[in-house]
Amino acid sequence: MFLLWWPAMFCFLLRLVAAPGELSPAGQRPEPPGVHALVGARVVTRPGDAGANATVIVRHGRIDAILKAGEALPTDARVWDMSGKVIYAGFIDPYLPETTAAAPISNRATTPIGATSGIAFPGVPQTRQDMGATGPGYEVARITPAYRVADKYAPREKENQTLRALGFTAANVVPSAGIIRGTSAFVLLTEADPNRVIVKPDVFQHVAFETPGDRDEGYPGSLMGVIATVRQAFLDARHQVAARVYFTAHPQSSRPDFNPALDALRPAMGPRPVLPTVFEPGSALMNHRARLLSDEQELSPILVASGQEWRRPELAKASKAPFIVPLHQPELPAFPEKTDWQQVSLNELRDWDWAPEIPALLRRQGLTVALTTYALPEREAFRSNLRRALDRGLSEDDALGALTTVPATLCGVESQMGTIEKGKLANLTIVEGKSYFDLNATVVGVWIEGRPHFPEPPAPSAKPSAKSTPKSGSEARVAASPADYRGPLATPRRLLIRNATVWTCGPHGVLPRADVLVENGLIKAIGKSPLPFEGKVELEVDAQGFHLTPGLIDCHSHSMILGGVNEGTLPSTAMVRIGDVINSETENIFRQLAGGLTTANVLHGSANPIGGQNAVIKLRHGEPPEGLKFAEAPAGIKFALGENVKQSNWGEKHTTRFPQTRMGVRAFFVNRFTAAQQYRAAQAADGPPVRPNLELEALVEILEGRRWIHCHSYRQDEILVFLRTMEQFGIKVATLQHVLEGYKVADEIAKHGAGASAFSDWWAYKFEVYDAIPHAGALMHQRGAVVSFNSDSSDLARRLNLEAAKAVKYGGVPEAEALKFVTINPARQLRIDRWVGSIEVGKHADLALWSDAPLSTAALCRQTWIDGKLYYDRDRAPERFVRLHAERERLLSKAQAQAPAGESSPGDKARGAFFRRALESAHDTGRCYECRRND
Amino acid sequence: MPEERLMRTALLILAWMHALCVWAAPVVYRAASAHPMVGEPITPAELLVEGGKLIAVGKSVARPAGARVVDLPGLHLYPGLIAMPTSLGLVEISGVRATLDTTEAGEFLPEVEAWGSVNPDSELIAVARANGITHALVAPMGGRISGQSGLMQLSGWGVESMTAKKPIALHLYWPSMELSAAPKSVKDPAGPKVKSLKEQANDRAERLRALDRFFDDAQAYQKARVAGLKDFRRVPAWESVLPFLKGGQPIMVHAQEARQITAALAWAKRRGYSMILVGARDAGSLAPLLAEHKVPVVFDALFELPHHDEHAADLHFRTPGVLHRAGVPMALCLPMGGWAASELRNLPYLAAQAAANGLPRAEALKSITLRPAQFMGDATRRGSLEAGKEATFIAVEGDLLDIRAQVRRMWIAGVEVSLESRHTRLYDRYKNRPRP
Repeated sequence: MFLLWWPAMFCFLLRLVAAPGELSPAGQRPEPPGVHALVGARVVTRPGDAGANATVIVRHGRIDAILKAGEALPTDARVWDMSGKVIYAGFIDPYLPETTAAAPISNRATTPIGATSGIAFPGVPQTRQDMGATGPGYEVARITPAYRVADKYAPREKENQTLRALGFTAANVVPSAGIIRGTSAFVLLTEADPNRVIVKPDVFQHVAFETPGDRDEGYPGSLMGVIATVRQAFLDARHQVAARVYFTAHPQSSRPDFNPALDALRPAMGPRPVLPTVFEPGSALMNHRARLLSDEQELSPILVASGQEWRRPELAKASKAPFIVPLHQPELPAFPEKTDWQQVSLNELRDWDWAPEIPALLRRQGLTVALTTYALPEREAFRSNLRRALDRGLSEDDALGALTTVPATLCGVESQMGTIEKGKLANLTIVEGKSYFDLNATVVGVWIEGRPHFPEPPAPSAKPSAKSTPKSGSEARVAASPADYRGPLATPRRLLIRNATVWTCGPHGVLPRADVLVENGLIKAIGKSPLPFEGKVELEVDAQGFHLTPGLIDCHSHSMILGGVNEGTLPSTAMVRIGDVINSETENIFRQLAGGLTTANVLHGSANPIGGQNAVIKLRHGEPPEGLKFAEAPAGIKFALGENVKQSNWGEKHTTRFPQTRMGVRAFFVNRFTAAQQYRAAQAADGPPVRPNLELEALVEILEGRRWIHCHSYRQDEILVFLRTMEQFGIKVATLQHVLEGYKVADEIAKHGAGASAFSDWWAYKFEVYDAIPHAGALMHQRGAVVSFNSDSSDLARRLNLEAAKAVKYGGVPEAEALKFVTINPARQLRIDRWVGSIEVGKHADLALWSDAPLSTAALCRQTWIDGKLYYDRDRAPERFVRLHAERERLLSKAQAQAPAGESSPGDKARGAFFRRALESAHDTGRCYECRRND
Repeated sequence: MPEERLMRTALLILAWMHALCVWAAPVVYRAASAHPMVGEPITPAELLVEGGKLIAVGKSVARPAGARVVDLPGLHLYPGLIAMPTSLGLVEISGVRATLDTTEAGEFLPEVEAWGSVNPDSELIAVARANGITHALVAPMGGRISGQSGLMQLSGWGVESMTAKKPIALHLYWPSMELSAAPKSVKDPAGPKVKSLKEQANDRAERLRALDRFFDDAQAYQKARVAGLKDFRRVPAWESVLPFLKGGQPIMVHAQEARQITAALAWAKRRGYSMILVGARDAGSLAPLLAEHKVPVVFDALFELPHHDEHAADLHFRTPGVLHRAGVPMALCLPMGGWAASELRNLPYLAAQAAANGLPRAEALKSITLRPAQFMGDATRRGSLEAGKEATFIAVEGDLLDIRAQVRRMWIAGVEVSLESRHTRLYDRYKNRPRP
């Protein structure tokens, strides 16, 4: 029985697609005829075509002709009356996840501390990491470029039905796990032999900037780690080719590894990539990062929109990549009380209100847009969400293109589908009613390769139920753009600040009643008021009674980092870069400007002995990440010693990763720098090509004096031993950070020439800070070390001038010297003192104007200038918040009017569509009194 | 080195004994000014102290026979600073569990008393004292009702001599009113189950009902106790709640967020309890309501970042001024917990920050002296420099609210106490490290 059954079943499946050719054996259901005439419909052949009454002739799966109304039909055609219907080219979803549970990558906060990795990490030979799977592969288990959806694909009837009911006929099925995920396969959405339905294997390579969130999956655990991993993998792929070439020429040399993962990456890489790479960046800022990474590695990127593009449309534009756009639109929660709306943030409300406009927004940037059903908690919402996107400015032509020609071209199947023209596959979407974009119209069926599919049960009209959708789909957006609230308030080419008490922090000391002339962003002249000069100034600031200081500099900040401060999974993560994940969107920038801060050293955390590369930024509010970077600042890196790196306070589980003692910390440094020396030597020597190792590259840069160490340190013994160990490798340390017991070895620190970047008065929160004293800064200063006070806190960074005052209180540092703890001294420590840190002719015009002496608790920051541009003005700040507040009120009343009533609280399934917390706003608020342990 | 330390200790003991001998004798302190916290500052100022009490305060005071005169040239006198709820003394090193006595386990813990577990020799106490703090309200954490606080004098030979007043308040940590509208993590099935809004709202209502049930039970116990029938059984936990029931001593309600504050105000009013609001992050937006309820506020969120992007960057800096102008009696404090306990010395700079942002200076000074004393029902003894009060004061070189100023000397109940600390000891030692 079974034997008889299964070929029958097989043929039944086959029946659904055209297979002209062999006659089915007798006894099986005979093939239906393959010639059809679809008569009487309005046929929209391609986007831009208004559609005329025409007849589509289908012959054995392909479009044979498009006849004008009234033309004679082929005599063999089966006639289908299509009057009252519209026929489109079959829709294509370019991003259909392989597993039904797939959701957009996590765009929420990550807490990447708590790894269990042993010593094994990429970069240490012979300690390859758990592959996570049997067989050969990449050293990071979540890098699986060799994975092919085409190898495993089987049609899923239920999902196909849902998609067909929305008008889709084909889709690109994409892998949904990992960071580099593998290749997608283009399929027809019909239940048949996979050999038939797969139109094209290996359509794209897929990359997602996905962090494991709270899950413990080893390296990488942070966003910057994910980016570093992707970067290293592509470098490895290039290396593998070079290594093979060398081995072929030198068969007696060391044999390269077999690594199918790296082979699989080759087609995606330049100089002329044959396989586009689809990135799921997960945030507005990462759109641009994906582009920069693509340029670095010569990839041809396509981006999946995160829905956050409204934050930075210009970065989407700068990505110059086609976008695959989900129509995710957050739903409103049914709060039981009106007061519960207090907890909803402006960001969340904006996200909700902007969502329908994302496709139009991207089109306005001149970008190519394809639409996808991806990321919808319930696919049924696709058409009503699309309607809202149209109401918000997406044109019907663009929408149709985004469903047909654009995805066909992106997927490289444009010769087969995307338009209704002779010779293409007979993939058709048939709608009864005015048009697909009219919610009263119904998708009555699709044709896939010449076979009709009718929805079962018949598709309901797309009109959504009243409860889950807004009362009106077309209401105007009330959310503003963040750009409306940031950017310089004045950009005078020539600026004169008159009559201030000028604390130069330079050789001129404190100048009473002085003028400062600024030209083209630089300090042009300083002198006793009135300062003589030629020509006119564009703006004059009367600073009578006020005090002018250099813009303050924070030598230790974590306030502007996206997706995790620590890549704490490995003992050395020299390959990760804070510069990859600068968060230009955080309100912290404005808050710190309001305290006179102009420059911040944004550091990796202290979870490991060798942390990530830091980034020095200027607080140019409104600039995107690349625009914040302090271009002239030399490269640096975070190191750390003591309790954090030996995991003392990580919990009972963390007792096996090397190092667990201060003894081990030293040994680890010796090991890594020796490895870096050998790496450099191997590169210089003749022989097989050396695998580029981003971790060791960074360490080589340190050895060669091109990258400066900022080392988190506490106890006197570890400080001394660290300095000596670095001296052994000929390395001068830029700064010791925190350096709480530095006062005990101040002479040695001064002699080495390391800067001391300290807390003013923190102590007693860990055992290793029991001997910390607030006089430490003064003592180190008096022994000749260059001392700064840093914030390490988004709160303290708002009032660093008052931290400097503590050097006067504890240890009696003169006021003008104490102010240097937050101006020229951190500039010297960061090697940027040629440009900033003091008010001297030729330096950047980074200035803070105070209502009182800067170290007085009565002093309020009145203005903050960067590069001669006014970024903060106390008199104008209230107006900004009034406007922000008004925007939130408008959004709230709109949301409250549309929110479902308290009783009809949506179920668990709909919860997926509630407000999402964007990565860009994940780290802004909250008390941080107990979170110091690994910062 | 050990000898030096021994010498120092010996000297201290001698000074102490000497102080005890002269404790009863009258002393006149002559200073550049005094800030009594009632009326205007007095310049110059004299304080007459006898038997640990302030006898007279003025430009010049009568000198009883035998009065010793202590000159404090250039120094300014203030009442000792009072730290409102703090974990000081209950924690030494927050990262080392063995040193933590801050947080008890359980939910309803009214019989937990903080004052008995303060470590008199905690290095953190001396560090706080060094910047002018003479008293601290030490309070427990943990659970919904965390227990009772006591006012501790920050100098003495043991918890008994240091306990200035007990109990001060019962501490209630108001239940969270937050509902999670975050998306369920589809990717992480192992993650915590997110409840629906409706379920969460039910849980929230239940938390509030549980609170009411607790106090209903306490009142029932009170009634049964008064009735005093034969089968009445004493329950220590209920006994310890009695002083705080209707019309009694205050309940300090720790609440930050507007919904919590509003709910707590209504709750205390309905039950007729005396309430002090602690934390009060969102109090600024509720100032008129707080004034109407005549509820004192102890504000601990001054240096907390705003919770919404549309909130002004200096919102919390300005909140004390807003409360004051609305007529809300207000004190300032640092948050609970080990971190803030080690940072308690910065208390005057909270007042300074509030003063720079709209709180009248005189009120800023009161917010760390007189107001706390008033809230604790201790203003007849402490909080200001007035005749009849305890002679607890500090002598400051400069303006107390300026970081550059130095607290030079301190007297508690007429006895001078040391301002030495672990920090000054280490400073002295390493300042004198021979140069290479």
